Amino acid sequence: MRGSRRIVLLAIVIAGVWAAFYLDLAPGQLIPRETGWKVAREFFSAAIRPAAVDESGLGVSLWGRAAKGAWLTVVFAATSMSLALVLGLVFGLLASATIWELEDSGSNGWRHSFRRFVAPVLYTTARAFIALLRSVHELLWATLFLAAVGLSDATAVLAIAIPYGGTLAKVFSEMIDEAPRGAAHALIGAGASTTRAFFAALLPLALPDMAAYSFYRFECAIRSAAILGFFGIQTLGSFIVQSFELNLYREVWTYLYVLFALVLIVDWWSGLLRRRLVAA
Amino acid sequence: MARFQIEQATVRYGTFPAVTGIDFNLDPGESVGIVGPSGAGKTTLLRLLNGAVRPSVGRVKVDDSYLDMLSIGGLRAVRARVGVIHQDLRLVPNLRAVQNVVSGQIGRRGFFASLRGVFFPGRADVARAHKILERVGIPEKLFERTDSLSGGQRQRVAIARALFQSPDALLADEPVSSVDPARARDTVALLTQISRERELSLCVSLHNLELAREFFPRLIGMRGGRIVFDKPTDELHNADFEKLYDLSRSEILND
Amino acid sequence: MSKSSARAIAELRRTRPRNWVGRITGLALLALVVVSWTTHNFGWRHLFTARSAENFARFRREITPYPLQERAFDWDIFTTWLHTALTDKVMAAVVATLALSIAAIVLAAVIGAILSLFAARTLATADPYLPGPNVPHAARRHGWRALCAITRGFLIFMRAIPEYVWAYLFKAMLGLTAWPAVLALALHNGGILGKLNAEVIENVDPKTPRALRALGASRLQIAATAIAPTALNRFLLYFFYRWETCVREATVLGMLGFVSLGWFITDAQVRTNYDEMFLFILLGAGIILVGDLVSAGARRLIRRAK
Repeated sequence: MRGSRRIVLLAIVIAGVWAAFYLDLAPGQLIPRETGWKVAREFFSAAIRPAAVDESGLGVSLWGRAAKGAWLTVVFAATSMSLALVLGLVFGLLASATIWELEDSGSNGWRHSFRRFVAPVLYTTARAFIALLRSVHELLWATLFLAAVGLSDATAVLAIAIPYGGTLAKVFSEMIDEAPRGAAHALIGAGASTTRAFFAALLPLALPDMAAYSFYRFECAIRSAAILGFFGIQTLGSFIVQSFELNLYREVWTYLYVLFALVLIVDWWSGLLRRRLVAA
Repeated sequence: MARFQIEQATVRYGTFPAVTGIDFNLDPGESVGIVGPSGAGKTTLLRLLNGAVRPSVGRVKVDDSYLDMLSIGGLRAVRARVGVIHQDLRLVPNLRAVQNVVSGQIGRRGFFASLRGVFFPGRADVARAHKILERVGIPEKLFERTDSLSGGQRQRVAIARALFQSPDALLADEPVSSVDPARARDTVALLTQISRERELSLCVSLHNLELAREFFPRLIGMRGGRIVFDKPTDELHNADFEKLYDLSRSEILND
Repeated sequence: MSKSSARAIAELRRTRPRNWVGRITGLALLALVVVSWTTHNFGWRHLFTARSAENFARFRREITPYPLQERAFDWDIFTTWLHTALTDKVMAAVVATLALSIAAIVLAAVIGAILSLFAARTLATADPYLPGPNVPHAARRHGWRALCAITRGFLIFMRAIPEYVWAYLFKAMLGLTAWPAVLALALHNGGILGKLNAEVIENVDPKTPRALRALGASRLQIAATAIAPTALNRFLLYFFYRWETCVREATVLGMLGFVSLGWFITDAQVRTNYDEMFLFILLGAGIILVGDLVSAGARRLIRRAK
């Protein structure tokens, strides 16, 4: 079966070469010209000496802005994630086949026909809905809200929460479906209904993975919240744009390092949690 | 007290017959061992007793009710009174021992009460779980995570979960195959003692003939989905066992 | 319940193993969510007013194809509208979106594969896998350790900055060619692939590398002959996972002016042709779904190749 791997590798190489030609990716274009060169030189030399004080002359403290941007980035990420978790749990449960498939000794009658004919329709519908939520990028959700009612802080939160909810739901349902079912069957054998057995003996098995994944998505939500700053929300992105357009590259690097620090903290914490939850 | 009766039952998985036309009978408080080679249908026999499989032909009766006549609620009520110890234990590894034990009550209480019992066991539940774990020999593991326990200790948790059901009968599927030989004797001794103390019907399937002869007053031999003998242990002769295994060996050769 | 057993239970409960990391994390996150909801005024009220309901209703009208807004659905009118909206340029943008994602993920894989060699703690040490014939010099030991730590930090930095921000910055330097978008996607995803691949390398069964090392193989030889073949499958799985997100992001980067579907979405939005905008967003969703399917198929092929 090694052959199929070779085919995949070959396809990747061919696709890569095609893409490079299609996009006209000449290596020569990688070298900036004139103003671009000046910007590049100044921008990258500012990397080793990020600003420590305000350079804009707007009379606002740089660290005050950085702290505000960082805090709001976290606030937007946390608010969106809390909504996304609700969406993810509800639709994740609906979209998992397991919750419907736990067997009750081939029981007959309406339960059997429900499981056989209605349940697949239910979870297929849920899966299609989830796919719709997650296949529209958060910035496109933001664009939709912008066109409909304008982009406010509330709609920005929704723009993140909707696709993230879809992604969580998809991954949650897969984790639930992959959890071993033996313990749930044992409880059914002890007289539990399938629903009870699901909550008592199947969900607990999937929960550590679900928690670890949610924490990882929180890190992604921080980045998404930062980007929404480009659309006028007061998160780190808005400060990056502001300073960059004033050519204050050293300030830009300060903000980039603040974002880096946020992600670094979440990444470290998530590693700690994963070791405790998943490996234990 | 449960009284089990299987009448001429046949079970097929697909087209493969797991058991064919078996009759079986277990009185209240009686204990019986089921012996026979792998694939003889021992597990299927046990699964018939708590309605985990339905016979395609024949019937199963527990106390005075035929399982196929029961509503799903009635079937659950019967199952709640039968404790099963699975070969692969089927515990939730990332819950504490006490939570696994208390989950035995899940068929006996209301929806929320039973789930609360599993996740936040109350004082009375914890005390009872402690007492049962004391009886099976590991009271100190009450609050340990189940996946931190050894294989033998986990098996005891599984036994404790079955006992927490306050069952009328215990069914154990190959309880000795998942522990080392030294432990195997202890496990069978524990199961028979407990069922004697509590006057439970006990039905254990096992490979180990010596243990079976030592601990069970009545033995059932199975082979190829049929019952070969069903006698009091002291009436059994070596010839009976030889027939059980020799025949099965020649049958394997014929395949 | 007897007194002695009550005491025994209390003692067991007191000494039970506790998951402090999990608890503190849970409490801290709960507190963060509560503080976030309460301290910041998101203006949820404005979302549930008659005016915004009106706005939503207007928007729903406006996203229906323009010629169909005032009349019942007609299949012919719909297809004509579809033909005028989906110009050759739009279809070229769809292809460009895919090309962007492919070029970027291939570049990201190269960057990630190279950097992962310096980020894997088992490989990037003075003495990989086995103590060598002579004890390495302290400077060499510390040098490797520093190199490994710096590479790891660099990988996290690459990943910490979102593609969109990288693309915005590179655009100012390189202009509106495809390069800024490709570089932005490649940098961010290279950071992720590098970190994941370093973990894969660290988890490779050390038996073969040790045997090779005992035969005097160099670090690069070990990586090429003992690690690459076993780690490649996992790496390819991650490659396709990240490609899925690359397709997503490539669409959106067009909003910065690059030639991808996102440009046409912004363009339609600016012209307030919301029917076209909505169509292009659905088209983007379609690309992503197709990308997911292709990726899932490829991953299945790779899993089978094990």
